[in-house]
Amino acid sequence: MRPILLSGHERALTQVKYNADGDIIFSVSKDHVVCAWFSHNGERLGTYHGHQGALWTVDVDPTSTLLATGGADNTMRLWEVKTGKLLKTWDFATSIKRVEFSPDGRQLLGVTEKRSGHLSTIVVYEINPDPAAEQTNEQSLRIVCDESKATVAGFSYMGKYIIAGHEDGSVSQWDAKDGEYMFSEQIHEPDMQVTDLQWAPDRTYFITASKDKTAKLVSTNELRVLKSYSTDTPLNSAAITPVKDYVILGGGQAAMDVTTTSARQGKFEARFYHKIFQEEIGRVRGHFGPLNYVAVHPRGTGYCSGGEDGYVRVHHFDKAYFDFMYEVEREQANL
Amino acid sequence: MSRVQGRTDWAEEEDEDSLQLPQQQITKNKDGTETITTYSVREDGKKVKTTRRIKKTTIKQVVNPRVAERKQWAKFGQEKGKPVGPQTDTTSVAENIVFRPVANWKASAEDKGEAEKKKQNLKDAKIKCRICSGDHWTTKCPFKDTMAPEGADAAGSVTDDVPETAGALGGGGGGYVPPHLRGRAGAGEKMGGKYERDDLATLRVTNVSEFAEEGDLREMFSRFGHVTRVFLAKDRETGRAKGFAFISYADRSDAAKACEKMDGYGFGHLILRVEFAKKST
Repeated sequence: MRPILLSGHERALTQVKYNADGDIIFSVSKDHVVCAWFSHNGERLGTYHGHQGALWTVDVDPTSTLLATGGADNTMRLWEVKTGKLLKTWDFATSIKRVEFSPDGRQLLGVTEKRSGHLSTIVVYEINPDPAAEQTNEQSLRIVCDESKATVAGFSYMGKYIIAGHEDGSVSQWDAKDGEYMFSEQIHEPDMQVTDLQWAPDRTYFITASKDKTAKLVSTNELRVLKSYSTDTPLNSAAITPVKDYVILGGGQAAMDVTTTSARQGKFEARFYHKIFQEEIGRVRGHFGPLNYVAVHPRGTGYCSGGEDGYVRVHHFDKAYFDFMYEVEREQANL
Repeated sequence: MSRVQGRTDWAEEEDEDSLQLPQQQITKNKDGTETITTYSVREDGKKVKTTRRIKKTTIKQVVNPRVAERKQWAKFGQEKGKPVGPQTDTTSVAENIVFRPVANWKASAEDKGEAEKKKQNLKDAKIKCRICSGDHWTTKCPFKDTMAPEGADAAGSVTDDVPETAGALGGGGGGYVPPHLRGRAGAGEKMGGKYERDDLATLRVTNVSEFAEEGDLREMFSRFGHVTRVFLAKDRETGRAKGFAFISYADRSDAAKACEKMDGYGFGHLILRVEFAKKST
């Protein structure tokens, strides 16, 4: 496969996302600009300007009309995907580390950073899906994480729960209707930050990536670890591939150590593991900095990765990827 | 070709030329294909007739209407007004990557890693002085004239003993053997004998203060038994110690005792490190 190299950003990428149909990729970086790209040829559709600080996170609603972003300028913003127009700005006391739309696109979740005097919170807004409508200022839900700050969060299937990953390696569950705390589980090593949380297509389970060099597949209802994938480098991101039973893990040693190690030692590769057998099946190299985020095409035809090196690499899988099967899988398929 | 039918306007000439070429012909064949015949003039002025047979097939592709609609969207932001298609300043195609999932990926990758490690080891091993075990080539060793190589050199790493022995006996063939070694070697059959004995009771002392003297070392190490030889490596120019020394004992047990007691001993402002002089492997 020949990856498409997107070099529209001037600083490290922080998140990349496909829209629901997989034809557009949204990328945010520390250079304050949001970019939208066509995934099939890497053509840039446009840029969204307005943020005054590094951007940490981006998400698009299921109909690809609204785009939400959050960044270090302490704002969460809503954009019209088509025109790049800024629709709404919500101001906070601290930076926004993660935004995510609910599966129906009617709610938007934001995770705020913990800083002196301010605890980390998860806020939820009701969203009017019409881009012309006025968006509310009122938070429909506000969850304060007083034990350990939340780093990532998302809506479960049907928007029933809010699942959050924490700085101390735990994952917790809240009721998304009334914000009631359900329970939490220590999924990763203590004090090893959960760096990413991405959903399976049906959102009944998700994958978490952590600085403890592992990624775990966790069930939504019981927060039970279903599968574990261990690597030799701190992970920044993990994604589940549809169609084929793989997971893609991205990482590399911390950005601050990059200059002291060669690209070879740095392990700046996307790692493919078999989802069921938990075995590594291959790697894709290319970045010369840690991978900050990996995102998979919703149809499972490709993936893209955003690196600390400022590039987005878009990959379209070729035949070998789809043909690969374990012996037992092949037997099963031939039955 | 030049003047045609009284036309005098030279600017029309080119058109006149092309007019002389027959028109493109399209014939429809029975099997549904088309034959297109075109005529053109090549750069060298020759007329060329090109015949192409084309079969037209309609490929229907079902495209998500939402996706199709989005492809028509006007560009905005920094891309505003840019033409359709990927722009070279932001989009490029990287080198081809072969990605082929394999079941025992890790195993194969680790094998490769091990092979490389071995190579690395070999590299490291090579840069080890056979005289003082320092991390330089033996030929670059500052003490190659003053010190005999450690026992292993003669006994172990030299594979063919025959020329060595011959050299020791003063015959031709082998390398030069210093006179003070010839006599002793002549007595025994093998040169290795002397070195081996020596090696067994020789300590290598590192982290020696640069102001140390051989006398100090002899005094310190004599406490544990009879010292036969003290060698303190010194810089030729400054005359200061280089930081390491060799102490040979008559008895190996004395050497062992000294090694145990003196390792970690504070001498000058430094802490000595004492170990048995190793054979260079």
